[in-house]
Amino acid sequence: MGDMTSEGASISAGIDLSQFYQVFFEEAGENLDNMEQLLLNVNVEEADDEELNAIFRCAHSIKGGAATFGFSDVAELTHQMETLLDKLRRHELQPNSAMVDVLLQSGDALRAQLGRHQGSGADPFDTTDLLVSIKSFVEGGGAPAAAPAPKAAAAQAPKAAAPAPATPANPGARLLELQVGPLTDLTLADNLVELFKEITDLGTIEPLDAGQSSDGMRRFKVLTSSTDNDLLDLFTFHVAREQVKLIPLGPGFGFYDGAPGAPPAEAPASDPGYGFFDDAPGVPEGAAAAAPSAAPAPAAAIVPARAATPAKADKPAAGGMDQTTLRVSIEKVDQLINLVGELVITQAMLAQNSRELDPGLYQQLTSGLADLERNTRDLQESVMSIRMIPMSTVFNRFPRMLRDLAAKLGKKVELVTQGEATELDKSLVEKITDPLTHLVRNSCDHGIEMPEDRIGRGKPEQGTITLVASHQGGSIVIEVRDDGRGLNRDKLIKKAREKGIDAPDSMTDAECWNLIFAPGFSTAEQVTDVSGRGVGMDVVKKNITSLGGTVEIDSAEGYGMKVSVRLPLTLAIMDGMSVGVGDECYILPLSSVVESFQVQSDTIKTVAGSGRVVEVRDEYMPVIELERVFDVPRFDFEHVSSIMVVVEAEGGRVALLVDELLGQQQVVVKNLEANYRKVNDVSGATIMGDGRVALILDVGSLVRRSRH
Amino acid sequence: MEASNVPALRQQGAVTAKGHGPKSGEYLTFRLGSEEYGIDILKVQEIRSYEQPTRIANAPDFIKGVVNLRGVIVPIVDLRLKLRCPSAEYNSFTVVIVLNVKNRVVGAVVDSVSDVLELNRDQIKPAPELSAASVDTSFITGIGSVGERMLILMDIEGLMSSAEMGLMDAAIAA
Repeated sequence: MGDMTSEGASISAGIDLSQFYQVFFEEAGENLDNMEQLLLNVNVEEADDEELNAIFRCAHSIKGGAATFGFSDVAELTHQMETLLDKLRRHELQPNSAMVDVLLQSGDALRAQLGRHQGSGADPFDTTDLLVSIKSFVEGGGAPAAAPAPKAAAAQAPKAAAPAPATPANPGARLLELQVGPLTDLTLADNLVELFKEITDLGTIEPLDAGQSSDGMRRFKVLTSSTDNDLLDLFTFHVAREQVKLIPLGPGFGFYDGAPGAPPAEAPASDPGYGFFDDAPGVPEGAAAAAPSAAPAPAAAIVPARAATPAKADKPAAGGMDQTTLRVSIEKVDQLINLVGELVITQAMLAQNSRELDPGLYQQLTSGLADLERNTRDLQESVMSIRMIPMSTVFNRFPRMLRDLAAKLGKKVELVTQGEATELDKSLVEKITDPLTHLVRNSCDHGIEMPEDRIGRGKPEQGTITLVASHQGGSIVIEVRDDGRGLNRDKLIKKAREKGIDAPDSMTDAECWNLIFAPGFSTAEQVTDVSGRGVGMDVVKKNITSLGGTVEIDSAEGYGMKVSVRLPLTLAIMDGMSVGVGDECYILPLSSVVESFQVQSDTIKTVAGSGRVVEVRDEYMPVIELERVFDVPRFDFEHVSSIMVVVEAEGGRVALLVDELLGQQQVVVKNLEANYRKVNDVSGATIMGDGRVALILDVGSLVRRSRH
Repeated sequence: MEASNVPALRQQGAVTAKGHGPKSGEYLTFRLGSEEYGIDILKVQEIRSYEQPTRIANAPDFIKGVVNLRGVIVPIVDLRLKLRCPSAEYNSFTVVIVLNVKNRVVGAVVDSVSDVLELNRDQIKPAPELSAASVDTSFITGIGSVGERMLILMDIEGLMSSAEMGLMDAAIAA
C-alpha cells in the first residue's frame, strides 16, 4: 500500500483482509472495554434491558469481525457469550453475579486471544473452562463446573444446525440483514419498521444498531418469507432502492434467536474441536474457511475500512495491545481545523502589523514572529493531514464490484489501479465515491466490448479499466480509462438532435463528448439494469462541479475513453498570492501561479483588434486584465498596470495583468455561497490580516474565459 | 435584543404564525431616509456599525459586497438603494442589521435603528394598495401605527430571499 503504484491489481484477486486487521483490533478493544464497563454496572436483580442489549451488541460486533477475519477462537467464545446474553436479554434466564463473573472472565480471555493474534507471542489461551461455564448457564444450570460436556452432546451440534429456522412464525421464512443507507436522515429508516407493523404477514423487523449509526447506515434484522424484490418494492416507498441492501444471514451468522446457527442448548460449546468451528482455536490461517463467506463479511470489512485506513501504514508496528491509532469524531477534527484557521488569520494579522516596525529595534519581536509563522504553518499542515485519507479507500471497493459486474455481463475485465496512496480530504473522498462508481460501471457496461467482439477487433479478450489518481498542482486528478469501444461522434450528435439539443456538425470533439453530460442522455441501445438509463452522467457532472471540480472526457472510437475528474485537494486552506488591482486585493492560488514579470506596454499585442496577447519566451499567451474582469473602480487614471502573473489551469495558461504583487500567505478558504451565491471567476473568499475580506480567483474559470 | 426575551418571543411567534398577514409581536424599527420600517425581531441576529465591505464585481448596486463577521463571510445589502431612497450616505450613524433568514446571514444597511416596539393586532393595518408600477409593495405586509408614527411592516425574509435580490441560488430561496 505504501508505494505509489501497484499495477495489475487484478480484480480476480481477493481482497486482502489483513489490511483491516488493525481496524478490527481497535474496534474489538473498544467493544471489550465498553462491555466490561457495562457488565460492571449491571444490576443483577433488575437488569436493564437496554444495558443487556448493549452488552449483547458488543459481543456481537466482536464476533462478526472475528469471524470475518478468521479468528475462530475469538469468534467461538463470543458466540457462546452471545448465546448467553441473548437468553438474558429476552428474559429466558435471570442474570446472576456468577454469570457476570464468567462474562467478565471471558472478556479477559478475549483480550488475551486478541493480543495473541496481534502478535504478542503469548500461548494460546485455553478457554475450555469458560466455554463450559457459559454453556452450563445457557442450559439453565447454576454451577459453572456442573456440565463437562460429553462428546455426544457435541456431536449433536451439526444436526441441530440442520433444521430450518426454529422461529415458528413463518414456514419458509428467511433471515435477512437489511442495510439502509447512507441516509441523511436516519429516522427515515424507522418508516421501514412501521411498514412491517402495518403489513402483518410481511414478517418481523428488529433494529441491529439501536437507531444510531456513525456512517449513515442503518441495519435491521428481518425475518420474512417475501422475496427480495417484493421487499425492495415496498421499501421504495420510503427510501431509494439503491440505498437498500438485503443480505441473507446464513448459518454461522444467524446469531439471533431462531437462526440456525444458534440452537441455544446444543451449541457446540463444550469442545472446540467439534461443532461449526472445525478448526482448533487459535489457528487463524485455517479459520478463514470457517468464517463463512456470507454477506456480513464484506459489510464488516468495508465499513471500518473507510474510517481508519490511515492506520494501515502502522500495521506492521502493531505489537501487543499498544494503541497506535486513535479514533476521534470528525467534528473534533473539524473544530481543530477551524481553530487553526483562525490562528492563521491572527498570525497573518500580526505579520502585517509588524511590517512597519523597524527590524533593528524590534529584532527579537520580528524573529519571534518569524518563528510563529513557521510553527503555524507546520501546525496547519499537520492538522490538515489528519483529514487526508488515501484514495485506496475508494479504489478498494471497485475490484469486487467489477468482478460481479463483469460476470453478470459476460465480459472479461481487468482493473488496474495507480496512485492509491494519493491523499485526499476525507469529505471529498466520501463525495467522490458515488460519481467514480458510476464512471467505472459505465466503462464496464458501455465501454468494454464482449470478449468475442474484442477478439474480432484484434484486441485482447480481456478489457482493461485503469484508475489513476495523481496530484497535479493544487488539485487531484482521478482518471477512469478503458480500452473499450470509445464514443461514437455521429451517434452522439444524432442522439443529441433526437433529444432536441442543438448539435451542429462543426462541434469539436471535446464539445461532442460533453453531450453525454446532458440530462437524460444515453446512447446505449439497450437499457440494462447496470446502467444506461440516461440518468447518470449529468448527475456525475453535477456532483463533481459542486465539489469545485471539473470533468473532462477524451475518447477515440474503437480505442477507448478516458474521463478525468479534477478536484481541489482540500477545501479548507491553501497558499495564496495576493495581488493588488486599484485599491482592491485579490488572491490567486499559489499552486496555479507559474511566474510573474514586469511588462512594457508595447510588448502586449492585439489580435484581431480586441484580443490581447503577450509574448513570453516565444509563446503567445492571452492577457486578462483583472481590472476589466472585476470592473475595478479607478481613481488614478494615470496608472498603467504593468505586472503580469502567468497562471495555469486546466491545461491552459493566461497572463493576468495586475497593478502590484502584495505578498504570499496562507489563506483560509471561506465559502461565499454559504451566505451569498456563486460569483463568476471567484472560487471563494478569505479573511486578510486586517480583517477584511478578499476574493479568491477561480483560475480555471479565467482560463476558460480566455478561450471564448 | 436581550437574550432573556427570546423564549417569550418565540412563543408569541408560534401562536400567531398560522395567521396570514402581519403578526402581532415585537418589531425592530429602523429608518430609511424619512421612512420608518418595522421587521420581525426574530429575524435579527445583531446590529453592527457599518464598515466598508469588499466589493463584488458585477453585482447589483444594492449589494455592497461582503464583510467578515467573526470569520463568516456575510453579504451586505443596502436597503436604501434597494428601496430607492433618494440618498444613501455612509456616516457614523449608518448601521448594519445582521439578519438571519432561511439559515443564512445577511447584513442590511439602514440609516439608523430606532427601537423595538410591541405591536398588537389592533395596531396593524393592512397594507395600502399602491399601484405596483410605482413601488414594489409585495414585501410590505402591513402598516403599524404607534401614536403619531407610521411603521411600514416588511417581510424581510421574503425580501431577502426573493429572486430579484439575487442573494441566494434559486434552490435555496425556494
